[in-house]
Amino acid sequence: MTAVVQAEGLTKYYGKRRGLEDLTLEIQPGEVFGYLGPNGAGKTTTIRLLLDVIRPTRGHVRVLGGGSREAAVRGRIGYLPGELALEGRERARDYLEFLGRVRGGVPRARVDALAERLNADLSVPMRKLSKGNKQKIGLIQAFMHEPELLILDEPTGGLDPLVQQEFLTMVREVRTAGRTVLMSSHVLAEVEHVSDRVGIVREGRLIAVENVAALREKAVRRIELHFDAPVPAEEFAGLPGVRDLRVTGAAVRCTIDGRPDALIKAAARHTVVHLVSAEPDLEEIFLTYYSDEERHDDRQESA
Amino acid sequence: MIAKSLRDYRRSLIGWAIGLSAFMMMYLGVYSSIKQSPDLYGAQAMAKFPGALKDLMGGLQDFTSGAGYLQSVVYQLFVPFLFIACAMLAANRAIAQPEEAGTLELIVTLPIDRKRLVLDRFAALALGLLAVAAVTLLVTWVMAEAVGIGVTFDRILAAHTGVLLLGLFFGTVTLAVGAATGRRALATTVVGGWALLGYVVVTIGKSVEAIAWLKWVSPFHYYAEGQPLYQGLPVGDYLVLAGATAVLALTAVLAFDRRDVGV
Repeated sequence: MTAVVQAEGLTKYYGKRRGLEDLTLEIQPGEVFGYLGPNGAGKTTTIRLLLDVIRPTRGHVRVLGGGSREAAVRGRIGYLPGELALEGRERARDYLEFLGRVRGGVPRARVDALAERLNADLSVPMRKLSKGNKQKIGLIQAFMHEPELLILDEPTGGLDPLVQQEFLTMVREVRTAGRTVLMSSHVLAEVEHVSDRVGIVREGRLIAVENVAALREKAVRRIELHFDAPVPAEEFAGLPGVRDLRVTGAAVRCTIDGRPDALIKAAARHTVVHLVSAEPDLEEIFLTYYSDEERHDDRQESA
Repeated sequence: MIAKSLRDYRRSLIGWAIGLSAFMMMYLGVYSSIKQSPDLYGAQAMAKFPGALKDLMGGLQDFTSGAGYLQSVVYQLFVPFLFIACAMLAANRAIAQPEEAGTLELIVTLPIDRKRLVLDRFAALALGLLAVAAVTLLVTWVMAEAVGIGVTFDRILAAHTGVLLLGLFFGTVTLAVGAATGRRALATTVVGGWALLGYVVVTIGKSVEAIAWLKWVSPFHYYAEGQPLYQGLPVGDYLVLAGATAVLALTAVLAFDRRDVGV
């Protein structure tokens, strides 16, 4: 299968300022790829290069088997810009209709269905839309022609939690249909639930590409167990993977590296009345990449 | 895409057409009173104007004749400059303004060739200006008939074609600078500077030998030199304007196709 996105040594300088350095990346069909990094790391630069908004200083990128300089290739992509600007007296519906016509026609019913799902009002002049409502219009125009590749730059910015959930459902549907999504974010939590892989970019360089399932496997998990009677601390001490153990009367609190199996089996000997398992904090792992990198940088500087 | 651009232009172009028409009605409307008092506005009275100012106004000869009045108040200074301003504002909306506002980013990712995008926007600009020119031509002609200016329609048409070509030329300069750089302020400065200096060169500069040769790069030379109100359509001059416009439009297309958008 040919990759949907194939970047090789992709580099972009704005004058002397580095935007992106030597990006090599493949994204496969049907994959949801989370592209992560702090603001100014090079996410938007990468995305603009993929869409031929800007041109690389060095390197190549192929999108959907062609070059995005070809209008026909761009027709198969849906794009949500990171800084979406919508203005003027024009109503959102008219603007979407115009975009749909340029894209070769989009059924009105599909636009309406998307608007309903995202709870977007299309009858308002665009300059009167709030940031969140503009973002909804941006999402509608990216999804409405059912593109093979969706490129979404910070898609959840400004959306309220309910709409965010609906958006994530839409992304999952796209993946189920075998289409591909590249979405950027500066917070892992926003993309970890839908992404198959995440790439981490920092200061213009892609520093890690990780499978989310594998990342979760490695993740640190906080667990809280409550029993009907006080339990002896030594039964839980020294279990494989258990760290930061605190036993207070009938409650056991700890963090788990990897699988919680040993802890569960130890707990099973008592009567468990309540169990709390916090979501694995991928953010923490994510941050260790950064701090590793920083340490690395420090070493270089001191050398 | 052309239709969409025209829709975006609609409000401002209608405004300009109304404004220009009102201007012409007002100025042409007072012609009848000027005609009746030639001593007040005649050659002798005009001689009192300082020479440089007179030059700047295109000489102000023959203010009381119909053609002379029409030339002085309409086609000499005010209407061409207003029309240039209108063209410049409209042309800035093609690339530079949406680029600075950030709305162009989404447009260039649509399945339209970038060359095509610039060409479409140029076509919309030309059509929009044509519409404004047509409306104001009609108003000028009706007013000229009403107050008895005594200039035939084909002469007015010839002069008005010049206004359109001049406006389109400067509009295309705006478009080209905007397409090449994405900066509205720069495009405005270039057009404003070129138009002002170009005008000065063909008026005051005519008698200053050191800068007289500059008239060849002044669009106003090709606009006014043929005296269309008196001589009819100056085909050669107008072809120079149209040709230069075509070259600039092509420059805009090629420049925009090559560069990064919105950085």
